[in-house]
Amino acid sequence: MTFESLRAGEEIKGPKFAVSRESIRLFCDASLDYNPLHLDDEYMKGSFGKTHFGGVIMHGMNNFGLISRMITDWAYGADAVHRRLETRWIKPVRPGDTIQPIGTIRSKQATVKSRWVLIDILVRNQEGEKVASGEATVEFPTS
Amino acid sequence: MAPQAFETDFWKDANLRKVWDDIVPGEPRSTIPYTLTREAIELYCASVGEDHPIYFDEEYAKTTKYGGLIAPPSIHILLMFACTPVDDWMRSPGTVNAGQSWSYNIPARPGDVITLQARALDKFIKRERLFVVHDNVFFNQRGQVICSGRGWTIRPQ
Repeated sequence: MTFESLRAGEEIKGPKFAVSRESIRLFCDASLDYNPLHLDDEYMKGSFGKTHFGGVIMHGMNNFGLISRMITDWAYGADAVHRRLETRWIKPVRPGDTIQPIGTIRSKQATVKSRWVLIDILVRNQEGEKVASGEATVEFPTS
Repeated sequence: MAPQAFETDFWKDANLRKVWDDIVPGEPRSTIPYTLTREAIELYCASVGEDHPIYFDEEYAKTTKYGGLIAPPSIHILLMFACTPVDDWMRSPGTVNAGQSWSYNIPARPGDVITLQARALDKFIKRERLFVVHDNVFFNQRGQVICSGRGWTIRPQ
């Protein structure tokens, strides 16, 4: 894969990720984010901050980390560099869900000193529902 | 080196944390330096299934343009909590992440002593929800920017 050969519309398939209480707990230990949103069923039965989820949810940043993994694994193979990721959370992800990020090349662009590829990101669950969206930027250095 | 102590009960000290009303946009948050270890990188990698040898295999990593082991760019997820004290409002139970955008300059590496400059940049109310915009920049021990990012959270109160 090279900057020249990439075409708009090409897809990057990310890894499937099975979400469980154990995977969420591991993410708590790895990220040090022990917010009760991810651990405490009793707390999550209630409402807070004008939000209500009804049960524990996966960290949004677990989703972010999974998308980032897709982008870096793709970029390393082309000696390219993951430079930016922006995400929005659309739907909560819960234990039992399986999620998968997909990237779609939107455009590429050269600047004075480098070359850039913009990638649209979508994460879906096992029902095909969108759980997160975003965009990433990967740099293809000229030297 | 002794492990760096971390309080995992976010309810403890909850009364010390600022509520939305107290948060002053522009005011720096207090932060603490954090030494990133290979073990912490490997645990983070395991939690999202990162398996690229650039994070684990020193001999391989030396042959790449990075010249040695690096952490995945998204290691800032860990650094955000590792570099902030127990009374920081990111730990308030019920804090909901509403979106993030991050730019990456150079990788963090095992052994780096990482510092954070952080502040609330803005706060607003939308559909009765209390939002804060977070502004964060991580540096290594040489003062080089590792990454910078903005987050949007909904505050529980």
